[in-house]
Amino acid sequence: MAPLLRIFLAVLTAACLAPPAARAQLQIQITSGVTNPVPIAVVPFAEAPTDGTDVADVVQHDLVGSGRFTALARDRMPARPTSAADVKFADWKGAGSDYMVVGQVTPAANGQLAVDFNLLNTLTGQSIARQRFLGTAAALRNAAHRVSDVVYRAITGIRGAFATRIAYVAVAGAGAAQQFQLVIADADGYNQHLILQSRFPIMSPAWSPDGQWIAYVSFENHLSAVYVQRVLTGQRTRVSMRAGINGAPAWSPDGHKLVLTLSGDSGHPQIYILDLSTQHLTRITHSPAINTEAVWAPDGRSIYFTSDRAGEPQIYRIGIAPGSSPQRITFTDEYNAGPHVSPDGKLLAMVTRDDGGNYRIAVQNLASGEFKVLTHGRLDQSPSFAPNGATIMYAERPGRGQAGILATISVDGLTGLSLKPTQGEVRDPAWGPFTH
Amino acid sequence: MSEPARDRWLSIGMSVLLHGSLVALLAIGWWHFRSRPPAPSVPIDATVVDARTLKGVGTASTPAPKPKPAPPAQPPQQVPPPEPQMEGPPPPTPDEMAMREQAAKLEAQHEAEAQQELLARQQAAEAQRKAEAAAAEQAAQARKAEEAKAAAQAKKLAEAKKAAEATKLAEARKKAEAKLAAEKKAAEEKKLAEERQAAADRAARLADLQQSLQEEERAQAARAASGALASWQSQITSRIQNAWIKPPTAQPGILCVLNVSLVPGGSVTGVSIGQCNGDDAVRQSIQTAVYNASPLPPPPNGIPFPRQLIITFKPTT
Repeated sequence: MAPLLRIFLAVLTAACLAPPAARAQLQIQITSGVTNPVPIAVVPFAEAPTDGTDVADVVQHDLVGSGRFTALARDRMPARPTSAADVKFADWKGAGSDYMVVGQVTPAANGQLAVDFNLLNTLTGQSIARQRFLGTAAALRNAAHRVSDVVYRAITGIRGAFATRIAYVAVAGAGAAQQFQLVIADADGYNQHLILQSRFPIMSPAWSPDGQWIAYVSFENHLSAVYVQRVLTGQRTRVSMRAGINGAPAWSPDGHKLVLTLSGDSGHPQIYILDLSTQHLTRITHSPAINTEAVWAPDGRSIYFTSDRAGEPQIYRIGIAPGSSPQRITFTDEYNAGPHVSPDGKLLAMVTRDDGGNYRIAVQNLASGEFKVLTHGRLDQSPSFAPNGATIMYAERPGRGQAGILATISVDGLTGLSLKPTQGEVRDPAWGPFTH
Repeated sequence: MSEPARDRWLSIGMSVLLHGSLVALLAIGWWHFRSRPPAPSVPIDATVVDARTLKGVGTASTPAPKPKPAPPAQPPQQVPPPEPQMEGPPPPTPDEMAMREQAAKLEAQHEAEAQQELLARQQAAEAQRKAEAAAAEQAAQARKAEEAKAAAQAKKLAEAKKAAEATKLAEARKKAEAKLAAEKKAAEEKKLAEERQAAADRAARLADLQQSLQEEERAQAARAASGALASWQSQITSRIQNAWIKPPTAQPGILCVLNVSLVPGGSVTGVSIGQCNGDDAVRQSIQTAVYNASPLPPPPNGIPFPRQLIITFKPTT
């Protein structure tokens, strides 16, 4: 007992009497944390606008959809303050939200609306970010996405990608009445624009790096062909309708070239680079196996693609310089296909097949080789990184015979939201670049 | 072949018939013998004979009915009539008259005697009949008594048997109950023994545990310099790590030092960020983590909370 007593006395002395240098003995070092969604309360904004857009609801949907936030239900909010001055932080301590967003929408000059918001830390009472966005009533949703972007960045440290757009293929009807549609929408699935409709399949939409063009495959002439179409005007060009397969277009980082899958007469799909200004074709792969689904590395010097040259589909990387030989990248499961590289080039997303025969979205750290399956579906396909690299959108088929939907998940596996089509099914999502 | 067989069957049949007849005759004879009317019935037959008949009978000196194989009373016409009557009436003479008178007297006397004898016989028969009836009655009563006795005995026997069976059953039940009780007792004893063993085992384990605890305590005492303090530190560390929602930008290489102000109950009253190379998201997250970990676990053995705590955030993954 005596030694213990001495220690306690020592601690007591250290804690109460010793100078600051001695107090440093009681060192607490935190080396890890948890990967959980951050609890936040997005309080309804004051003065709901006339067009019915609920700004706080749009912001909440964005944040929760990223997978990195959980939102406090409105009916559990202790109060509805609309400015920092109105907030009684003591009331919010028990609500379980670390942060809260308050704001107002007010009329501004020239018939515009002003959206003001304030992001507060409910534990410290500090204001973390506040900003005003001006715009027309029609742009109110976009203004709300901008609010989400700021909140997201302040808390996660990552640029928000809520004010971006996505492209996807919608399939409506069946049999002879079946219609394929190429749709552009906001990242949250709202504000849809139909840019192409066909009785024949449309596949593999891909955004140009500047967000002005979309390349895709269309079977409108009963044969596969690759087109590039200007999003704003609908102006389009057929860039490849060669014998055999014309598929899987992807833009080079500089936007001057496409990488394509062409089979020619041989029947063996191979990877080619098409120079859009000269129409010059360069063959990249020479294996007799299937080579397809190529995407560019962000540095533009190499290409990732799927090949079954080892028996089962796996992902390979090959330099675009002449004489480069492919290098296998994935080894974890027997089936890995459909690569998509994160904007920073650090992560490779893909479809992997697990032992149970389920197709799921996985990411592999290209530097460390660390492999992580993110989703839990039965048939998850077509992963596409958000331009901030933090979230992946993919196509999900919830059950046998059910229509496909689009879903989001954070790269560390935090489940986001599902975007359900109003009718038919949606597939092949492609997340567009930042445009502002 | 069939002819001799038929003959044989015929002779067998005849033989059977013959023997059957013999047996039947024997049986009839036996039955006749057995069913012969008892002796007392004879006087009844005699009562139907009237006086006229008796006249003729008297002279014929009819033998007294014998008790055995006596044929039934013979019809009067078969009795031979007295000789004088058969010769017809001669003319009476005085001697004859006297003789007749004497004869009549004799006859009357004989008649009287006969009647007397008949009466006596009747009385004797009646007496015999009565005696026999009495004897039969007595025999019947005796039989009845015998039967009653036998029935009583049978009843007694049955009762005795029943009682014996009941006793047997009771004994069996008693035996079974005894057996059950014995088994139960054995099971209880076994259980008790097991419990005692288990208790003994527990005690042994407890003793071991106490010993190891004491050893551990001694070891802890030996580790005096770091023990309690290290434990408290690890409690605080664990609590804050569980509260820290690490933003994606909190990567290895980030180092932030926080100066945390505490009140005696362990509640965090202030956090100031000192040296920190993290972005705003990291700064926000570490402050939030410390506030969410509040109040911090108390120090051991009543040592007061320090007023300040230095916490370093240095993510390794």
